[in-house]
Amino acid sequence: MVDKTSASAATPPGRPSAFARWLPNAEWVLLLVLLAEAVGFGLAHPRFLTLDNGFEIARLAAEVGLLAFGLTFVIKTGGIDLSVGSMMGLTAVTLGGAWSLGLPIWLAALLAVALGGAGGALHGLLITRLRVPPLIVTLGTFSLYRGLAEALTGGSVSYTGFPASFLALGQSYLAGWLPVQLVVVGLLFMLLWVLLQRTVFGRELGVIGHNPGGARFAGVSVASVTTRAYVLCGACAALAGVIYVSRIGQAKADAGLGYELTAIAAVVLGGTSINGGRGTLHGTLLGLLCLIVLQNGLRLAGQPSEIAGLLTGAVLIVAITASRFLFQSSARPAAADESLSNPDELTMKNSQLALLIAAILGGAALIAVSNVFLARSVTEAGSAAVQSARSASLPASAGATSVAAAKPPAVRTVVALTPKAKADPYFVSCKQGADAAAAELGVDLLWDAPTDPDPAKQTEIVEAWITRGVDVIAASCASPEALSSVLRKAQERGIKVISWDADAKSDARGFFVNQATAEGIGSTLADEGARLAGGKGRYAIITASLTDSNQNEWIKFIKARMAAAYPGMELAAVQPSDGQRDKAMTEARNIVRAYPDVKVIIAVAAPAVPGAAEALKQENRRDVKLTGLSVPSLCKSYVHDDWIQSIVLWNTQDLGYLTVRASAAVQDGTLKPGATSFSAGRLGSLKVEGDQILLGKPFIFNAANIDGFNF
Amino acid sequence: MTSLLRRHSREAALLSAIAALFLLPLFGVNGFYAVSTFRSLAIDNLPVLLAAAGMTLVIVAGQIDISIGSQFVVGGIAAGLLAKSGLPMPFVVLATIALGAVLGALNGLLVAAARIPAIIATLATMVLLRNGVLRATGGDWIQNLPAGFQWFGLPSGVAQVAYLAAAAALFGAFAWAMRNTSAGRAFYAVGCDHEAARRIGLNPSRQVVAAFAVLGVATAVAALLNFTRYPTIETNAGLGFELKVIAAVVVGGTAITGGRGSPIGTLLGVILLGSIGTVFTFLHVNPAWEKAIQGAILLVAVVADTAFRKESARG
Repeated sequence: MVDKTSASAATPPGRPSAFARWLPNAEWVLLLVLLAEAVGFGLAHPRFLTLDNGFEIARLAAEVGLLAFGLTFVIKTGGIDLSVGSMMGLTAVTLGGAWSLGLPIWLAALLAVALGGAGGALHGLLITRLRVPPLIVTLGTFSLYRGLAEALTGGSVSYTGFPASFLALGQSYLAGWLPVQLVVVGLLFMLLWVLLQRTVFGRELGVIGHNPGGARFAGVSVASVTTRAYVLCGACAALAGVIYVSRIGQAKADAGLGYELTAIAAVVLGGTSINGGRGTLHGTLLGLLCLIVLQNGLRLAGQPSEIAGLLTGAVLIVAITASRFLFQSSARPAAADESLSNPDELTMKNSQLALLIAAILGGAALIAVSNVFLARSVTEAGSAAVQSARSASLPASAGATSVAAAKPPAVRTVVALTPKAKADPYFVSCKQGADAAAAELGVDLLWDAPTDPDPAKQTEIVEAWITRGVDVIAASCASPEALSSVLRKAQERGIKVISWDADAKSDARGFFVNQATAEGIGSTLADEGARLAGGKGRYAIITASLTDSNQNEWIKFIKARMAAAYPGMELAAVQPSDGQRDKAMTEARNIVRAYPDVKVIIAVAAPAVPGAAEALKQENRRDVKLTGLSVPSLCKSYVHDDWIQSIVLWNTQDLGYLTVRASAAVQDGTLKPGATSFSAGRLGSLKVEGDQILLGKPFIFNAANIDGFNF
Repeated sequence: MTSLLRRHSREAALLSAIAALFLLPLFGVNGFYAVSTFRSLAIDNLPVLLAAAGMTLVIVAGQIDISIGSQFVVGGIAAGLLAKSGLPMPFVVLATIALGAVLGALNGLLVAAARIPAIIATLATMVLLRNGVLRATGGDWIQNLPAGFQWFGLPSGVAQVAYLAAAAALFGAFAWAMRNTSAGRAFYAVGCDHEAARRIGLNPSRQVVAAFAVLGVATAVAALLNFTRYPTIETNAGLGFELKVIAAVVVGGTAITGGRGSPIGTLLGVILLGSIGTVFTFLHVNPAWEKAIQGAILLVAVVADTAFRKESARG
């Protein structure tokens, strides 16, 4: 790399070019990446380059965008705020709580935003007055805010039923096509842009980021300016929380979980230096769009979300390395003062230009390869004839708004299944059955969900499927409230919708593939628990996370059944395992020690049952019985060694199989409302009650029968 | 005595906090004070302790690594797959550790050679590894491991004592080396002042890569000690592991800006944060409060420490 002095000597004096002034941090690399994405995805899927999809991208980017805009101010001062996602959770709960206490909804929203500002002020105070590093302060409030949100609601309370005028903020469209939150966030962006790029305050932020000591000598009130940046960031996060609640229609402590990482990635990708000083708001917008468009494009193409994750990581590394090497100033990050020298050092050597072009070509190649890969995977199962029919139909369907019109009869049916969480062994085994049915019927199966249950991310996946134009969507809803509004939208666009595993609101779907009701599961678990305890004694429950809605539902029915049928049974504790086996083991061990008279543990998460079994085994507590809801294969050895007495479940493979069968039948018209039975391939004829297809009662697996199941 | 207290203010404060925490169960709860409680507390926190030791080194060198939760599960899966392929356990251990060193060094290279700020580089590798695992396994647990995998085939009681001894030896050696050898002090020098370190003949880039590699090894060992506690491997493990580790290091008094910190402080931080949940369960506290209290403790610890430092600097 060139030495700094020679670089500045090479820079012509005077005013930098307009190009350099507007995009001083190689943001144009991002423009090229964005262009490559647009071309690549546009070629891969006709629906990608439509106005509809553009707005959809913007709608989903609104919340992370707000976080990223606020973070740009903070990061420009050389600080960071890890707590923005947790702040969304806290504001969601505050908003819901204040509203349920009788406050008018807009006043509650205002209160929530004010709370965000106050949180930011707390950060500013600790950082500027007590000189605690921002990373530490906000790491603390990251747990504190989320913890408060959980503590205030016990994790389980969720507020729903907000007035329509409030839900309009996140769900409706102005003039039928312009998403409301896009208008709000767009106006705010302009306001913030002026604030950051065109005011003294904005300049001062950059000066502080470059050199706080120098800023003080230059007459900048460092403490007050920095604090204001954090207040702004907190308020933006709170507003994002309000929009989030309005979009998914429920306020719960888990709002915005994990959003901070995407937001920080967007800011940094947008050219803002994590060390402070450099950065523009339009750069952040570009960075955000690069990430969101990548996600959206891959989802439209039916690629699983982990591909988007992999490419996000790759883009981060490639784009930042490329822009780093383009600038002598950033080539030696240790010397902070070097970056002080003009932002307009856009003098480039041929070698650097070559590197840049290589990087861009590399990025484009990456995307192209992924497109080829995904195009192939979509059509893999289809015959050549079907493929040609499909490609012939593509130009016709481009730009069409109605899905029905875009669907020529020769094309294989596309069934899209979303489980609640992809990494859950329970759903992994459901997928085996779904795959089998898809192969039997010759339909294309899309299978995607967030890694862990997350209603917001799940709705985003379904939104992409709507735009893509699948034939049937089958959803296991992480939150009925959140998923129902998007499922209704799918129905409006002519997509058949059914629900499975966890139901949506009944008007948001056709049929519900019902493996067992929450009440059925809860009662069966309670019966098993009471039986193992001999009808009398204390029991403890290990759940997934305290905010998990299904688990909370089951626990409610366990308690109800115990109270009604087994007066001798008394609940000792409900402990969270966060869906992790390690934590389940610790919790189980603590339970049997802290409540020595506990006779039975009921674990209601798939990884928690083997976790608790391992704890009992290591503690050698034969006197404590264990039952719960889990997948047989994970528990088999413990069941045989009698550490787990029984597990309650249905045949999960059959559930996935039946769901795909029912989806295909709904599509080809063989399953209509009013049917009383349904012939489901290898499962034979199943009963249909009203709009529910019944898989059968929950099954109790024990040492006698567990070897007969291979999932 | 006062000067000793002043020099070790953080350690003293942590010790009193830990003492207070461990005295709480005196009030009306039975069963907490048993050797077995403390042994399992220790076993549960061993992985965090080892990773935190490595993290202390990385933070002292002025860097940070948020990808260790992903590295942790990658280590576990690698160990599981290797064991399943029939490799004898000693080789499984060596291969897993080597993989950890490579993953760590890769982070180090992104930071030192590609000049990407550590928090961004490791954010990228965190996302890459986590999604790679999901892609490769589809969320399936790794099952049907050979009998010699869980506890290395030892009876669990013997194995636990062996794990504790091994971890204590490793941690002790590491803590001593970090404070008392010139190789260890070099990381402090680099974290304190890059340029000064370069002028006295150190190679800061090499130190940074080394620090990340050591953390990678520590995380791999942590993964081995964690995943061999079970007969199967959970592929969704390690979510949030990095935050637990970083919080413990920071509560332990290591300066996030680099150049200052001690493994002993980290040990105390791990003990404090790692015991809260268990003590609360024994006190029958509603678990919904646990996260809020942990956050509050972290804030109070750093604020109190900063205030005390200011005070003593003035006095």
